[in-house]
Amino acid sequence: MLRKMMFALVLLALAVTPALAAKTVKIGVMAPMTGSWASEGQEMKQIIELLAAEVNAAGGILGKKVEVVMEDDGGDPRTAALAATRLTTRDVVAVVGNYGSSITEAGQMIFDEEPLVQIANGSTAVRLTEKGLKYFLRTSPRDDEQGRVAAQTLQAKGFKKVAVLHDNTSYAKGLADETMGLLKGMGIDVVFADALTPGERDYSAILTKMKGKGPDAVLFTGYYPEAGLLLKQKKQIGWNVPFIGGDATNNPDLVKIAGKGAAEGFYFLSPPVPQDLPYPKAKKFVADYSAKYGSAPGSIWAVLSGDGFLSIVEAIKGAESTDTEKIAAFLKKKGTKINGLTGPIAFNAKGDRVGEVYKVYKVDASGAFVLQP
Amino acid sequence: MEEFFQQLTNGLAVGGIYALIALGYTMVYGVLKLINFAHGDLFTLGAYLGFTLLTSFGLSDRVGPLLGVLILALMVMGLVALVGMILERSAYKPLRQSPRLSAVVSALGASIFIQNSIMLVYGPNIQVYPHNIMPDTVIHLFGMPVPLMRILILVASVVLMVALYLFIQKTRTGTAIRAAAIDQGAAALMGINVDRVIMLVFLLGPALGGSAGLMVGLYYGQVNFTMGWVYGLKAFTAAILGGIGNIPGAMLGGLLLGLVEALGAAYISIAWKDAIAFGVLIFILIVRPTGLLGERVADKI
Repeated sequence: MLRKMMFALVLLALAVTPALAAKTVKIGVMAPMTGSWASEGQEMKQIIELLAAEVNAAGGILGKKVEVVMEDDGGDPRTAALAATRLTTRDVVAVVGNYGSSITEAGQMIFDEEPLVQIANGSTAVRLTEKGLKYFLRTSPRDDEQGRVAAQTLQAKGFKKVAVLHDNTSYAKGLADETMGLLKGMGIDVVFADALTPGERDYSAILTKMKGKGPDAVLFTGYYPEAGLLLKQKKQIGWNVPFIGGDATNNPDLVKIAGKGAAEGFYFLSPPVPQDLPYPKAKKFVADYSAKYGSAPGSIWAVLSGDGFLSIVEAIKGAESTDTEKIAAFLKKKGTKINGLTGPIAFNAKGDRVGEVYKVYKVDASGAFVLQP
Repeated sequence: MEEFFQQLTNGLAVGGIYALIALGYTMVYGVLKLINFAHGDLFTLGAYLGFTLLTSFGLSDRVGPLLGVLILALMVMGLVALVGMILERSAYKPLRQSPRLSAVVSALGASIFIQNSIMLVYGPNIQVYPHNIMPDTVIHLFGMPVPLMRILILVASVVLMVALYLFIQKTRTGTAIRAAAIDQGAAALMGINVDRVIMLVFLLGPALGGSAGLMVGLYYGQVNFTMGWVYGLKAFTAAILGGIGNIPGAMLGGLLLGLVEALGAAYISIAWKDAIAFGVLIFILIVRPTGLLGERVADKI
């Protein structure tokens, strides 16, 4: 008898657990908590936790608290695929992330089959939204937009011979290819195009080779650790050529790595850095973030993950449901405008963000990033 | 032609660092027949310890840059050597009698452990060495601009390698290491304390690896906790290229790999640089399966 009662009790407990779990709305976050982009991932976590606390303080969504479920993608496609599978088993209603395009691509299909809405934050590779996935969106702009701004900037500055360097990641290669295609149409010569291996320390061999081709300017579409080293070593070999970077070079560490002298005069394209965001919501957010964590957020990409989170929260409220179909339909509906940290957010039918975001920045003598008019 | 010589100096500076790390792999392999996969992470540890000591003591302000860096190098080498010894005692010694595969798995585990410990202590962000430590002087060699630091790195790594070579060849302790590399059992019967020899190897290898880490930090300025992976892999390749277990082979392999990389990048393709370097490795292993210098003194250190 006792055994039967215990058995019934266990069954009851099992039956009740899902009901208990549903007392919160779980939102998954895929971020590089470890690996070479870990600083981005840690910032994503801090930003989303801060925003979640604010949402909960304001009453949560649909009368429930928001719970953030972090999953580490390690900044690595293989880890990301495993992490995505694990996240689909943890009762999340939607997913924010990932940071890098190649990482996002690894988990994209897994979420689509589940199905779960995914809003990527730093993934700018064009093809991510060209696959016709119904539930995939992104708060970041696309590489073709950035490529257009890059080509226009090079043209406006009057460069005739340009060297293009990328690092073979899907993002950097995509941006390099896009820009090179546009440059050809503008009559600008691409005198050098090649890829470096990220994660190394010595790029003198590459710089020496590029110098031999005599370009007027170098466009580097890779990430800030390599960009910093390139700038530093370019100065060491006494080569005075303007360098222009893509948006992945937008990180304060760039100046620390290169040194102020070597970083001065470096141009890069980027959505505005967090401190330059003109919107009241962004100003309040930067202040709150600084108060909680001691310094302002450094990466715009991490801020865009905050926008992804806010979009999901607003969509659940707007759709009055946590159903994937309804969330996606709400986000892609014409006329939906979400008040985000990086301005108003609206998505088109492909899941891309609508509107122009890229600006040109220049590093000044003190190492600060100055928005160019 | 100028570009060619410029690329030569580029390759030699990188190769010198590969060679220093490769020595650690080759010495451990020579004595224990174990690939110490944690060696690349000891290299990272050297770079991070150098960063901490440099920023917290302000050595170069007190005793001048040259002496400061020298003291710093000794401190880093000592500390990394100590960690190397602890690593041997905790991760490898208990497995001395187990199948060799267990020790390899233990080495991989130690590698992950050290890498993640560094991340947890220092954080996942890139750390940057202070910029004003080393002189920014550029020397003109035959009309070519070569940064002074590049020459210093090559000189420092050659000095360390020659010192190690003399130590192994000319001293009694060095002879004991060589004896243990040939036959541990026979060496023990001849009155050599094999345990102490192994300990010594785990002091020397990590010390050299740590010094390479410090050099990378001082010259390139940027350290992060995953850097040991790329350098470890390249140095391991260099050790095999020269003939693993052979000390001059590791030096030769390191310098050669650096040169192949720089010239391959310069005259073939940058994106194919690693493919060229590993292609050369495969070619040499087909022609000489024991590596460049491996045959002459096979299984010896």
